[in-house]
Amino acid sequence: MLDFIKKIYMRDDTSSRNQANNRLRVVLTHDRLNLNANTLNTLKEEIIAVISKHLDIDGTPEVRLITEGRNTALDISIPIKGR
Amino acid sequence: MDKKTSECQVIVVTSGKGGVGKTTTVANVSTALARMGYRVVVMDLDIGLKKLDLILGLENRVIYDIVQVIEGECTLRQALVKDKRFPELYLLPAAQTRNKDEITPEQVKQLCDQMRPEFDFVFIDCPAGIEQGFRNAIAAADRALVVTNPEVSAVRDADRIIGMLESAGFQDIKLIVNRIRPDMVRHGDMLSIEDLLEHLCIDLIGVVPEDKSVVVSTNRGEPIILNNRSTAALAFNNIARRITGEQVEFPTFEEDSFWNRLKGLGRNLFSTR
Repeated sequence: MLDFIKKIYMRDDTSSRNQANNRLRVVLTHDRLNLNANTLNTLKEEIIAVISKHLDIDGTPEVRLITEGRNTALDISIPIKGR
Repeated sequence: MDKKTSECQVIVVTSGKGGVGKTTTVANVSTALARMGYRVVVMDLDIGLKKLDLILGLENRVIYDIVQVIEGECTLRQALVKDKRFPELYLLPAAQTRNKDEITPEQVKQLCDQMRPEFDFVFIDCPAGIEQGFRNAIAAADRALVVTNPEVSAVRDADRIIGMLESAGFQDIKLIVNRIRPDMVRHGDMLSIEDLLEHLCIDLIGVVPEDKSVVVSTNRGEPIILNNRSTAALAFNNIARRITGEQVEFPTFEEDSFWNRLKGLGRNLFSTR
């Protein structure tokens, strides 16, 4: 019963409006940078490869684009293993 | 009559994507301003695919067009079509059998400079696309209105256009959201105004709800702003007032029904998981 009520109120997560927003976030960021998903993946791999040549990477490195207003930044977070 | 303001504003209405309501916006906002007593000229730069004369209901009164003015076949005064219903409104028609690359941004600038001393507002109806027609349309403008629909493809094109306007040095770019359906937004089936502002990051100047009476007015060649019962008419009149610098509140489209309050209550209960 509770699940049913929750469904009525929480259906927003899979709504077409939310899907549109998520798709737009990705596509507008890529449009503004003239970048496609493949280039971003290659960039990610290459950055990690360069770092790992000199340092030991610990855990999961993250390379992603973050946007604020119409500006975008490359956010790189790479945990390094200590001695 | 004389113009009301000392400075003339040249405003380009653009969108990237076609069919979002640029021409309808130009026609109705300019008519609203003319009705307020401002001297307004609307310039159709969609050369080869003209629509503005038809939307304004002036298609039978067109004699000369903008390309003929530029090529010196007639004077600007001869080409301007006066709207009999609104004495302060003039149309500079596009040519139908010519091409967008037959005129240059420089020529559009010269034409606008010629009109500035006589008018309060010059509206430029920009063609869809990002090519020569777009460059011609933005060349002389002081500010830009970007029209979009709450739909992914229109938002993507609007974003590209905003980027191009910013690189062209535009400081004043405002957003008009056309054809929104508040009922669909409430049901999670349409992008909301807040969503669009989050994506496009520019200031809002108008929200025009989907309204069947727009089709009816367009069929008749009458401006929608004369229809007192139309929600779109109110929205276009509000845009005109905001363009003159007046602060006009945005109406909320939320229905305050018992059912909605109940749903709101339910959401609050369940969102604090």
